[in-house]
Amino acid sequence: MKEAVRIQQEDFSQDEEIRALQASSKRMGGIATFLGCARDFSEGREVSEISFDAYGSMALSELKRLRSDAIEKYALLDARIVHRVGTVKGGENIVFIAAGAEHRVAALEACRWMIDELKQRVPIWKKEFTPQGESWVTPHP
Amino acid sequence: MIKVLFFGPIAAATGAREVSVAHVPGLTLGSLKEILAAQYPEAMHLATMMAVNGEHVRDMSLALADNSEVAFMAKFSGG
Repeated sequence: MKEAVRIQQEDFSQDEEIRALQASSKRMGGIATFLGCARDFSEGREVSEISFDAYGSMALSELKRLRSDAIEKYALLDARIVHRVGTVKGGENIVFIAAGAEHRVAALEACRWMIDELKQRVPIWKKEFTPQGESWVTPHP
Repeated sequence: MIKVLFFGPIAAATGAREVSVAHVPGLTLGSLKEILAAQYPEAMHLATMMAVNGEHVRDMSLALADNSEVAFMAKFSGG
């Protein structure tokens, strides 16, 4: 089985990730997921592709800590996080987060919390390629 | 020596992903940033996040041990 937290260039399968999460406990009554995708339009410009750079070792350790923190904070039964790096084209997958809990509220809240925290804590940077040129993304609040 | 790492917009601004800075007694995170700012003013202006040996650090008075790995990082934009 693949690791619960990964940074990888290749695409991922949401079905595989959810199956792996579900297999971790039969007590799981709710699974919430977040899928982040590459938009082909941003700040009024067409975006042909996005490239991600990362401080790989720190990003992975921060993602692992984020998962552990979420499991503890929301009493999750399990959680998984996969983030892509390298080049991602418009419409393709970027990040997948899944939270499994006994009940839906914890799963939904944990999933929202993990993507919000990921954006604050995890050293990954996004560059957009447009017909006007390429530019590093300034984060939204 | 201190190993300094740059990524994303800061690597683009410096034109380098890694530089070495000589360690001197009493070197702090803040004084290292000042040394780098003299060479890379635009890049260091973007550096709002710091990490030492892979851990987030906000205290600029932190003394750096020789052979530390320090990253000066722009605001993250993953996800």
